[in-house]
Amino acid sequence: MICLMSKRFVGTFAFCTFLLALPAWAQAPARGIPRASDGKPDLNGIWQVLNTAAWDLEDHTGSLRVPPGQGVIEGGEIPYQPAALAKKRENFQRRETNDPAETACYMPGVPRATYMPFPFEIIQNPRLITMSYEFGHTRRSIFTDGTKHPEGFPDFWMGDSRGRWEGDTLVVDVTNLDERTWLDHAGNHHSDALHVVERYTMTEPDHILYEATIEDPKVFTRTWKISMPLYRRLEKNVKILEYECVQYIQDQKFGNAKPLGAK
Amino acid sequence: MSEANASPIGRSHQLLMKRTLLHIAVASILMAVSLAPVHAQDKGGAKWTPPRTPDGHPDMQGMWARRGAAMQEANAPKTPLSEFGATGQPYPTVFNTGVSTPQAAALASRPTGIIEPANRVLPWRPEADAARREFLSHMIPPASLKYVEASARCVPPGLLGGDDRHPYQIVQRPGSFVLMYEYNHVTRVIYTDGRPHVGPNIRLYMGDSIGKWEGDTLVVDTTNFNDKTSFSQTIPYHSDVLHTVERFTMIDPYVIDYQLTIEDPKMFTAPIRIAGSFAAAAKGSELMEFACAEGSQTLANIFGFGLIPEQ
Repeated sequence: MICLMSKRFVGTFAFCTFLLALPAWAQAPARGIPRASDGKPDLNGIWQVLNTAAWDLEDHTGSLRVPPGQGVIEGGEIPYQPAALAKKRENFQRRETNDPAETACYMPGVPRATYMPFPFEIIQNPRLITMSYEFGHTRRSIFTDGTKHPEGFPDFWMGDSRGRWEGDTLVVDVTNLDERTWLDHAGNHHSDALHVVERYTMTEPDHILYEATIEDPKVFTRTWKISMPLYRRLEKNVKILEYECVQYIQDQKFGNAKPLGAK
Repeated sequence: MSEANASPIGRSHQLLMKRTLLHIAVASILMAVSLAPVHAQDKGGAKWTPPRTPDGHPDMQGMWARRGAAMQEANAPKTPLSEFGATGQPYPTVFNTGVSTPQAAALASRPTGIIEPANRVLPWRPEADAARREFLSHMIPPASLKYVEASARCVPPGLLGGDDRHPYQIVQRPGSFVLMYEYNHVTRVIYTDGRPHVGPNIRLYMGDSIGKWEGDTLVVDTTNFNDKTSFSQTIPYHSDVLHTVERFTMIDPYVIDYQLTIEDPKMFTAPIRIAGSFAAAAKGSELMEFACAEGSQTLANIFGFGLIPEQ
């Protein structure tokens, strides 16, 4: 509240927002946020995290090309089952060659796509909310028309997303997630039983509180949760460009290689 | 299209077939039981007016199937690639997105492909034509990575490398028009808010598109292309000075007229005009996930190793 009162002192306000952002957002009513024609919060725009979750969801020290960061997990650590923890450690050792997103540019899956260090655009209409991610021009659509997850579908790299509004919070249920994606570059992983529930709460016109609960009874001992702010990209005329890492990686791996059967 | 690019669809393939069969079934039923609504041209010239978005523009939102927008030049060079396509295993027609247009015949009679020059003989610069013929001669077997057909490398399709098999979806917002391709999961957000193109040093596979409404026609100007996408099987690339203008005009509830003008003065001495349609897709269509690099074995087969170690 102290921070709200000092709104006119812009520097102080910014500092307070920085300090108190997360706890304040959890309680503050969403005032003055943009609204769509159906009265729901208007999430249209370009958003990006400002954290190091893509490298490691947990607390980690800096290392070469890895910025240090405080974890985004409630409770600090991921509650792995013993065998899954061993797999995580093995993944970590091999992360430079085996991270599907970093070394092959495969679609990052959910929730990792959200916190890749690239912007993404939310394209919202009443029946469908599409997220268009700059990383690898990945896209997923969230059906908000009351439909359920389809039966008997295969897994998708970006899963099957069905959304609903709980008050001003967009709640997205994600299933059918392909087991081959990682949760971050540190080798945190999941199985095909992964079930993610995301919550997008616009707390101010330029901030969304992003929360995701992660459930996977084959890998974790309990459901766990991450949370982080999404920041609106405010640069004039900012737009999603292309990060075509499939092409960059192909050039790197095959650029000087001779095809089998080439003369 | 070569059979090589059948593989990138990966795990969605089976699903896609199921969905497409469903579409065809639905479309067939619709066409069998429904004589109405009547095509605009059958109403004795009564002008059809499109539904409007809240900001007053024609409402083109929905699922669409593209038809006919392709660069099929006359006297195209014979290539091992096209022979491969002709004698190989082309996609079965069931992969085509179903169309709900009651007047399929009317759609079939619409202009398609190159309409200028009328004889479809492209205005090649001789040196550019010679260079692409030389390039084509190295494509099968590919002499190196860059000679592997673009679609098999999961290169974003550009404006003509997309296809008619996979559906498209249009979403409109105040200030932007969004065209989503199922093919290679491309999303084009076309801003109509008056902003300029991005700076000239930003080069993009899909180019930088800005739009404006001229009456009820959306006019999309695209620049900032790189030179890495293809026009067709026999025109495997274009140059980075490519400039395109697309015109989207909804002419009845089932058809968006699509016009594309191509200027590439490093390749051609005159503009080329292409016509096609976006036809309303069968009811119940939705965009599925099209994973390309994730499922493709094409490059592993060509080079003998893949992008990521087996786990």
